[in-house]
Amino acid sequence: MTTIRRFCCNDLLRFAPVNFDHLTETFNMSFYMTYLARWPDYFHVAEGPGNRIMGYIMGKVEGQGESWHGHVTAVTVASEYRRQQLAKKLMHLLEDISEKDKAYFVDLFVRASNMPAIKMYEKLGYVIYRRVLRYYSGEEDGLDMRKALSQDVEKKSVIPFKRPITPDELEYD
Amino acid sequence: MASRFGLAGGIPERRVRSIWDAVDSRQFKTAHKLAVGLLAKYPNSPYALALKALILEKMGKPDEALSVCLNAKELLHLDNVVHVDDLTLSTLQIVFQRLDRLDLATSCYEHACGKYPNNLEMMMGLFNCYVREYSFVKQQQTAIKMYKIVGEERFLLWAVCSIQLQVSCGSGGEKLLSLAEALLKKHIASHSLHEPEALVIYISILEQQMKYEAALEVLSGNLGSLIGIEEDKLRMQGRLLARACNYAAAAEIFQKVLQSCPDDWESFLHYFGCLLEEDMNWSSASSTDQICSSRSVDFPASKANHLTVEVFDSRISSALSFVWKLQLDIQNDCIRGPYLASIEIERQRRLGGKADDGKFMEALLNYFHRFSHLSCFTSDVEMFICILSETEKAELLEKFVKILETSSTSPIKALGQAITVFKIQELFGVMFKFPITELEGTAKRMVEMYCKNLILSRDLDLQENMHGEELLSMASNVLVLLFWRTRKLGYLLEATMVLEFGLNIRRYVWQYKIPLMHLYSYMGALSSAYEWYVTLDVKNILLETGSHHILPYMLKSPNWLETGNLMKEYLKFMDDHLREVADLTFLAYRHRNYSKVIEFVQFKERSQHSYQLSMVRLEALILQLKEKADNIEEIQGILENANYGIQLLELSNEDKLKSLTFNEDLQARPWWSPTPEINYLSEPFEEGSACLREKLDQHKVGEKEQIARKHIETKSLIPRLVYLSIQASTFSLKENLEPNGSVSDVKVILEMKCLLERYARSIGLPFDDAVDVILGIAKGQKSFKDLDSDIISWINFAIFVNAWNLCSHHPGLVSEDGCGLTSWHVVNFLVKTCTAEVLMQAQPILTNPGGSLPVLVQLVTESFSWHVLVIQSCLKSMLPSGKKKKKGGAVDQMNSPHLQAIHDSIQCLSNAIRGIQKCVGDQINKPEDQNLDILLSLVQMEDCDEGPGYVHQALAESASANSSELGDRISGALQSWNSASGLRKIIAAQNKLLSHFHRICGSKLKLLESLKRST
Repeated sequence: MTTIRRFCCNDLLRFAPVNFDHLTETFNMSFYMTYLARWPDYFHVAEGPGNRIMGYIMGKVEGQGESWHGHVTAVTVASEYRRQQLAKKLMHLLEDISEKDKAYFVDLFVRASNMPAIKMYEKLGYVIYRRVLRYYSGEEDGLDMRKALSQDVEKKSVIPFKRPITPDELEYD
Repeated sequence: MASRFGLAGGIPERRVRSIWDAVDSRQFKTAHKLAVGLLAKYPNSPYALALKALILEKMGKPDEALSVCLNAKELLHLDNVVHVDDLTLSTLQIVFQRLDRLDLATSCYEHACGKYPNNLEMMMGLFNCYVREYSFVKQQQTAIKMYKIVGEERFLLWAVCSIQLQVSCGSGGEKLLSLAEALLKKHIASHSLHEPEALVIYISILEQQMKYEAALEVLSGNLGSLIGIEEDKLRMQGRLLARACNYAAAAEIFQKVLQSCPDDWESFLHYFGCLLEEDMNWSSASSTDQICSSRSVDFPASKANHLTVEVFDSRISSALSFVWKLQLDIQNDCIRGPYLASIEIERQRRLGGKADDGKFMEALLNYFHRFSHLSCFTSDVEMFICILSETEKAELLEKFVKILETSSTSPIKALGQAITVFKIQELFGVMFKFPITELEGTAKRMVEMYCKNLILSRDLDLQENMHGEELLSMASNVLVLLFWRTRKLGYLLEATMVLEFGLNIRRYVWQYKIPLMHLYSYMGALSSAYEWYVTLDVKNILLETGSHHILPYMLKSPNWLETGNLMKEYLKFMDDHLREVADLTFLAYRHRNYSKVIEFVQFKERSQHSYQLSMVRLEALILQLKEKADNIEEIQGILENANYGIQLLELSNEDKLKSLTFNEDLQARPWWSPTPEINYLSEPFEEGSACLREKLDQHKVGEKEQIARKHIETKSLIPRLVYLSIQASTFSLKENLEPNGSVSDVKVILEMKCLLERYARSIGLPFDDAVDVILGIAKGQKSFKDLDSDIISWINFAIFVNAWNLCSHHPGLVSEDGCGLTSWHVVNFLVKTCTAEVLMQAQPILTNPGGSLPVLVQLVTESFSWHVLVIQSCLKSMLPSGKKKKKGGAVDQMNSPHLQAIHDSIQCLSNAIRGIQKCVGDQINKPEDQNLDILLSLVQMEDCDEGPGYVHQALAESASANSSELGDRISGALQSWNSASGLRKIIAAQNKLLSHFHRICGSKLKLLESLKRST
């Protein structure tokens, strides 16, 4: 019972039960609205009966040449709707849209300590591409995980990088 | 910063680069020095001036920055100006915007565009200026000009969006839409369309004019291929067909959507609505809703009576067979849509007047069989089962329990099912009818079930939800209900213990934190509530939707520092958002996401009209007044900065009140306080409250909004009334000295009267009647108990009336001999009796949650403060500016009845506050251990059959049991749990609150002492 549709500003007023989750970041308004203004197709919400917000995914597409890729900025599901493969559905949606936009891969960052999430992404076909040292508020390392799309025929984008990098070495924020 | 041909604003780039670098690295002093040097070389360069202004603004010198900007602007307007480019204009624009002078930036661009009529870059800058000013008509005109110059699709769409905005957010009539349509048609004929969003806007323009057929034609033509996702296109087609009342075709389209997305609940509702030919209330005027379909989809109204019985039956069976087929095709256990659809179809059949053949129940049972282990089961079926009769509800519940007892499934699923049954019981309000012992048993069973099943979560990561977490929330709910019914505090303490216990095991569960915050606030343990609030990390937009969990309690507390910070953070967030939103709207224009343009503007309006925003703007000023109330000079400074309260008065004008939006997300609030205005625990338990849910729903809608409007109105008057009261007190004495009343006296009196009339209305009576009420109380003919509104508002009213009366000498408020003013005595009497009444009911906070402490706090920090300000103002104008009293005039004043009245009032306030301080002090002075013993005794089991203590015992047993098999994390958490430490926290937090208040009373008494000495 999942209606997936584009995320709207009004959803920001109803996503508290999802965002009270301690691992879900609540960004400032210009961050959300920049995503909505630039990449509305990469920002989707899943709604259940009674118009309850079940979860959402926000992302973007960026890069040059073979680095042109989809990026998952956040994917989150309300606790009431977990263990129903909703995150998988939302991830597939973003991957499909990235495919349509001829992206070479999709990537995301995850806290190195967030094992449940890392395992889930691995199940969805993502591999750890590299470690980003002290990515989260200068404290915790982040893992840059990637999944190659059909455009990347030789799957070059997911060959793991040999050494950890620092946040200032990142090509994109 | 960009440049062209090595020139920046007409200056060689190499000369300005060092300034840019200095600005980028925030070396503003260096930048300023360099800019001054540059200006010496290029004294007539508007760009050099703009740069200097930019730097000055960043250095915190807004006035200088403005004056330099104005110089630059003047230069730009000269006929012989050397160089004008977008870099100069945009730099000036940045500074003007930061100085809050958008109008000046616009005028620079307007002038430049007039001078260089074909400069596209400048025109885009001008368009952006109009976006910032929400000048939709001028936006449209500018966009059309750009379109005429280059003929690009995007500029046409900018114009069309500007038209849409005139219709949906401005004052433009719907006729404008036909202009937009004509523009688009003409463009399509010659150039077609290339952007999906352009097509969406075109369809929306047609749809808003109810030209559904035309829209469908566009969509099915070549342009339709612009919509990349096939299902999105189908959904649009379905909607258009339905709106055109071509229900059969629409249903067919939605069927297609469901075939590829069987879980799409919204599409199912549309499909089914079309089959039954229902008016689905597609939102009409709002273009955004049509574009992003964000509206809530209601169930089709149950009025399918226009269909004949035969047709209705055949539609129902065709829906059923379609849904069955979907169910057969599903390969995935997680897809619930088609099964829930069966329930909806049976619901409609039942509502359609069919004799109940048990099919509805059957569909519900089937759904239970499949999905009862899921956490969302109850919320999925909630809206269906509310139509059942009480007998049916009991029957259904019985069947659910039977299924539960007979099914053999995995322990995790079995736990999920058991939780679901508890949730359904909660939903049906079954617990309201349970005998006390059964309720106790239920709470205990829930806690024990949670503990017993901890083993299932042994291997889970700390980040993951544990199995059975909901049991503790529900147990806590039951315990609160037990408290409501029996008034035994022990249950309430157990309710907090259960949640603390859960948080001790896993500290991330917000579903425990929120009810705990409310319970602590209710118990006066506000700092504990605040600690949990902080861990929720409520920030950004959550401040708008989630502050209501703590802010209303804080506002009635003496914790001014935290309250002030909360409001500051919220106001900063809202102000930033409202300032930035126009630039983000322009970003949407630039990226050709036109539907977002409309959405952003509508959202900005919604944010701007937020009830909470108005409320916090008012409360923030009132808090400042409370904080500084002991110093009249500081109060005058605060009021001066707030434009003497005039701006805040505007918050309660009729239009503002009508357009208020309520953005709080109330879903997560505890059942006993569904809105900040309602707290059932403060009311007696009502027998038969099983229908509580319906009562909550009624409360939620109209009433809440009405209360909110009244609240804004009353509060908005206070700062201005405080200001005018201070003024009136000053004038009254001057009048005594110089009997020729000045013009401003008259103005103050008139304005005060007008505001007092509004104030009286907002507390429920016409002015004269309200005055009669306070006179009635003063004469002992009426009691506070007879009043509808809260005591604080009435005391405030009496205080402001007295201040007004000092100048106006209202008949009825002057003593019989004509020498004195009765209004002083009225206030004194009200202060005395009201304090006495509240104190008489005041019980120690430790054992009496929800008591009168917030009222006492408000009395002292608000009402009494306002009265002290009136007194201070009177005294200030009576006594000469030097501290020493002069002979003559001042001595005369001393003997006046007026002074005697002031003296009496000071004495009366002192007595009242001393009484309050004593009541508070008695509570603080009790040793902590003694308080702990009292609380512990309330949660110890007694020898009788019922009473609090069972749950506490269950928690203690679980904590002390051998739990090594639960893994280190859970077992360690269990062993570290201790009920006494939780209770100590409550006591400490209550003491903190009381001590704060005690200090405030102390400082008020000190002030009154000094005032007494000066009389």
